[in-house]
Amino acid sequence: MRRIIIRRLLQIIPLILGVIVLNFMLIHLAPGSLFDVMTSEQQVTDPAMLDQLRHTYGVDQPTSVQLAKYIWSVMRLDLGFSYRQNAPVLDVILEQLPSTVILMLSATGIALLVGITAGVLASVKVNTIWDNLISLGAVFFFAAPSFWLGIMMTVLFAVKLGWFPVGGMRTIGSDQGTFGDALDVMHHLVLPATALGLFYAATYARVMRASMLEVFRLDFVRTARAKGLSRSRVVISHVMRNALLPIVTLLGLQLGTILGGSVVIEAVFSWPGIGSLLFDSVMSRNFPMVLGVLVLGSLLVAVSNAAVDLIYLRLDPRIRAR
Amino acid sequence: MLSLTIDFARRFARNRAALVGFALVILVIGVALAAPWLFPRNPLRIVGKPEIWPFVSSRYPLGTDSLGRDIAAMIAYGARTTLLIGVCASLTATIIGISVGATAAYFGGWVDELLMRFTELFQTIPNLIFVLTIVAILGQKIEYVTIAVGIVTWTPIARLTRAEFMSLRDREFVQACRAMGMGNLRIMFGEILPNALPPVIVLSSLVIAGAVLFESAVSFLGLGDPNVSSWGRLIGDGRTLIRSSWYICAVPGLAIMLTVLALNLVGDGLNDALNPKLRDR
Amino acid sequence: MAAIALAPSAPLLEIDKLEVSLFTRRGVLPAIDGLSLTVSAGETLAIVGESGCGKSLAALSVMRLLPEPPAKIVGGAIRFMGRDLAGLSDREMQRVRGKDISMIFQDPMTSLNPVITIGDQLIEAIRCHADVSRKEASNRAVEMLRRVRIPDAERRLNDYPHQMSGGMSQRVMIAMAIACGPKLLIADEPTTALDVTIQAQILDLMKDVQTDTGMGLIIITHDLGVVAETADRVVVMYAGRKVEEAPVEGLFERPLHRYTRGLLGATPSAQRQGDRLVEITGSVPALENLPTGCAFQNRCPDAFDRCRAERPVLKPLLPHRTAACFAAEEELSRDVAAIGS
Repeated sequence: MRRIIIRRLLQIIPLILGVIVLNFMLIHLAPGSLFDVMTSEQQVTDPAMLDQLRHTYGVDQPTSVQLAKYIWSVMRLDLGFSYRQNAPVLDVILEQLPSTVILMLSATGIALLVGITAGVLASVKVNTIWDNLISLGAVFFFAAPSFWLGIMMTVLFAVKLGWFPVGGMRTIGSDQGTFGDALDVMHHLVLPATALGLFYAATYARVMRASMLEVFRLDFVRTARAKGLSRSRVVISHVMRNALLPIVTLLGLQLGTILGGSVVIEAVFSWPGIGSLLFDSVMSRNFPMVLGVLVLGSLLVAVSNAAVDLIYLRLDPRIRAR
Repeated sequence: MLSLTIDFARRFARNRAALVGFALVILVIGVALAAPWLFPRNPLRIVGKPEIWPFVSSRYPLGTDSLGRDIAAMIAYGARTTLLIGVCASLTATIIGISVGATAAYFGGWVDELLMRFTELFQTIPNLIFVLTIVAILGQKIEYVTIAVGIVTWTPIARLTRAEFMSLRDREFVQACRAMGMGNLRIMFGEILPNALPPVIVLSSLVIAGAVLFESAVSFLGLGDPNVSSWGRLIGDGRTLIRSSWYICAVPGLAIMLTVLALNLVGDGLNDALNPKLRDR
Repeated sequence: MAAIALAPSAPLLEIDKLEVSLFTRRGVLPAIDGLSLTVSAGETLAIVGESGCGKSLAALSVMRLLPEPPAKIVGGAIRFMGRDLAGLSDREMQRVRGKDISMIFQDPMTSLNPVITIGDQLIEAIRCHADVSRKEASNRAVEMLRRVRIPDAERRLNDYPHQMSGGMSQRVMIAMAIACGPKLLIADEPTTALDVTIQAQILDLMKDVQTDTGMGLIIITHDLGVVAETADRVVVMYAGRKVEEAPVEGLFERPLHRYTRGLLGATPSAQRQGDRLVEITGSVPALENLPTGCAFQNRCPDAFDRCRAERPVLKPLLPHRTAACFAAEEELSRDVAAIGS
């Protein structure tokens, strides 16, 4: 088991290497010299500093050496320096990371809770009005852009009804201790997390429904009924256990999309995370920051993917045997 | 072949949701094509009082935005942008996906291994972040947005093509072609691909829906082409006015949702019609 | 055992004119038509027939586990120890399943949940009907595994189904089925999916358990070897109907219905062990277009006009035996005439 875990974690390395190489290629594909753009955008004029930067990015050396240098510096977690924030790129990103992770986790949590509940309900009441309503809802939320849902929810629940704040992560100037602060963040979190999560909830509902119906037809469900288990017990401990496996796979595949989605949602709700940072950096053409977010975001997805795979291993003993 | 097509069409037509989707897609295409005829003047032109609500003025059925531009005209022209980018991005994704998937499956071995790792790489990179990075570096042009969206959406197509190719690769007709001394490329694209294509096309139609959503997010963030009218951008422009005139956001959002919904329904319908056995479940 | 006092003749299970229909797009099809049978405590009844004859549906009807839709009980009664099972609420029926009547299925490899350990599945079955702690249930699970002769029972509790062979899985299924001491065990093709060498072991095991507990046993099979080895009495089904019923020796000695004869390979005195079904020419008529008259007429070597015009009903033709066959009736009356003259 430990060997499997280590092997899975080792698989992350070539992926990240690939991302770094891709990054490097992007820099070189850019029209004109990206270096010039970077320095002029960031208003670096001091010749000494220009020289230092030129050296950091190795502009004065052949491409292969540049690539090796770039890989080496990223490996040492040196993602460059951001003059806008006047701090190393890594530090800025790590500072913003927790709020994005909170948003992603909450959105995923909502998606799983709503999606699985709806999917199970639809499968248990298959071909009834419940099933139809859930399927209809899933079709709609599967098609609605999350940022638009966010805005519409803001209009209704924040502007008209005043139940939730319009944006931000904390009420400015409030000091209510740790617990009060956590509540305050949660209050701010409801709308963005729901807006981001509903699309995935729709996906999970559809997949869960299909997967439940598939499992219902399997022999062991009949065995469980024959033992004398109640219908709900059979659904929960036998059908759902098996039907959840595709959801776990899907979760792993969609992590990157959820991180991407949080970029837009953060922009809608002025949520101070990686997304807002990326948006600002793209707007101000702060490329070291943009590329840094791309590398770290990929790393985050790769690691979470490995974690999801290991969870899958835990859930499905048949895979473990292989 | 003809009877097969008719059979396919009949199965598709039996699916009521797919028909509704099909009708909606036709409607959107119709509006996009008719836009210059319906609204002959530049849609970004100011035509009247700002912030007229929908269904109030008969001249501006969907109202006007904060500057006094006709929302209906912008929606109609936006349909052109949205569909164009959606279809072209999906085409890009399909070309990349088929090339990668077909090569991986046909040659197998280390080629397959390498290309699948490559595919995995693109699945790992957070897709919207990648799109924004590309657009930020290359510039805010409609071509770049299209290519960027294509680059982040090809992976499922590659996987499906690979699976289809795998199942066809060792069939007798392929071996016959090999025995006849046909070249690899000719076997791959002339013989195997036509057989593998139907499910891939269905997936491509679903990718259009995804591409429309991506494009809308990019232009919502203000990173789309500033010279064209697009639904995402309309929402982005209207955002500041949600307290007074939230309809400016609501209308284009509904347009996006209905278009994506319609494309999904058509895709699902095509899928069901391709796999009639699955439908009875 | 807190057994309810039964009159010696009162059967454990009595199926009375059971009718099950399949509600399909092609219409309502009679999958089981007027099936009656009884099983007593300690007795083994075999239900024999080709696939699609309704034997499995009959078993599932007793458990009230018919796949609904399309199948549904539309008539008749199923009495277990005098109680009509069809009239029970879902909750009451849950208390019957696994506790009073248990069932094991054809394919043991797919009948166990792949993501739950053997131990947990056994414990679940035990705690479902007995108010015991997990520890006690676990002990009882080990005891049950030993009883079905699974070596190294404690360790096996933590195994997953894919780690076991087909034979072992079927033993686990049996252990699970008898864990709560049922009075009736229904085994639906219990050995079909297993290797020949394992088949005999599983049958022996079931007979042993029956001897220990005195439970009634219904074995559903198309394998006449299984019938010869285990059954006391045999019910032969064809196209949803019972066509013959007989004690096992009598059946092998002199099958009456022409279908039974076909099953036995047309050799009336075949009592060789391990006799398999010999292909009968022709095919079972589809339920949606059963012919008037006998359903077997198109495949019957002895069919005559009456068989095509009139449906034969079950008649007691010999002591303890019934059959629904005009050809058999004719034959027997000729025999009687021959003796009389």
